[in-house]
Amino acid sequence: MTSQFWGTPEGWIAIAGLAIGTFLIRYSFIGFFAGKRLPPKFERALQLAVPAIFAAIVVPLVVMNQSHVDLNARWPHMIAALVTGLVAWWRGGMMLPIVAGMSTLYLIEFVLR
Amino acid sequence: MNHQSSLPTAHEASARDAFIAGFKQCVVLTPSYIPFGLVCGVAAVQAGLGELGAIALAAFAFAGSSQAVLTQFIASGAPLAIAILSGLVVNLRMAVYSAAISQRISNATRRERVLWAAFLVDQTFLFDEQRHARGLFKAHPLAFFLGCSAILWPTWIATNTAGAFLGAKLPPTWQLEFTIPLSFIAMVVPLLKSSGQTGAAIAGGAAGALLFALPLKLGLIAACFIGAMVGLVIDALLAMRAVRGGKS
Repeated sequence: MTSQFWGTPEGWIAIAGLAIGTFLIRYSFIGFFAGKRLPPKFERALQLAVPAIFAAIVVPLVVMNQSHVDLNARWPHMIAALVTGLVAWWRGGMMLPIVAGMSTLYLIEFVLR
Repeated sequence: MNHQSSLPTAHEASARDAFIAGFKQCVVLTPSYIPFGLVCGVAAVQAGLGELGAIALAAFAFAGSSQAVLTQFIASGAPLAIAILSGLVVNLRMAVYSAAISQRISNATRRERVLWAAFLVDQTFLFDEQRHARGLFKAHPLAFFLGCSAILWPTWIATNTAGAFLGAKLPPTWQLEFTIPLSFIAMVVPLLKSSGQTGAAIAGGAAGALLFALPLKLGLIAACFIGAMVGLVIDALLAMRAVRGGKS
């Protein structure tokens, strides 16, 4: 077994941190504050934070090339992302939108360019 | 159609029936786990967690989007604390699920509560919402929930494991890592049910790109906060307009 197989100590700290923290979030109202309710404003803010953080992760990954906005290199990715968004909106699910987006990317990069 | 023969009523359904019903309902979700599970496995290995770490992450975190966020941050050289915190922000929505489940399991023991929490993910929550809305298996909700988990959890670990071992063999021109943002898009679009949520996504995305250069990846946390605030403002404006519209 190589060291790559076992990972790094930092990696294991990250794994433990995410696993334990996520369990505490899941257990919060089921266990710690059983029977209590979130304030409605706060519950809404949590609902809104989810699309916000996903969009904040997605946009740079789509439009940036090595931490610079590079529309010249990334326009095929932008179109692929748009196709995935449209298919997700139209049909939902996970598999079909990803396959549609990646097919679009391959079509542009390997066939048209 | 005699629906009573296919769906046992609350009186006659045993815990075993509930478990099997949960299992069967969730089997249809397993194909949707394949691409994202593979991607998460690949990303974990590329971030240096190792094959074993990738499997452990899937098994113990059991939360795909936060796994992808965590590994994305580690791969981009962000400090550990920021990577973990960002992954946890993505999972904060589970507090909302936890609050909803908590309302309907008031008699559960400590051990049962731990089981509810351990397998609480988007899919198991959504199926429990549907079960609850239809008034099914009221005597054995946990058995139904565990039946659902009994197929989804092993499937998640298996797809991540496959990604961890196959990932390194895939050629880079395939740009497999681009399936991560695409999977996030596929996950977010169905969430955009209100103007507030759509506004939060647009503001979050714009802020994410503009604040990208902030140190320690703090731009992401800031963008999340800005997006949520914009969403709340849109909610408030719409509520005000609704009140004014009602008066005129």
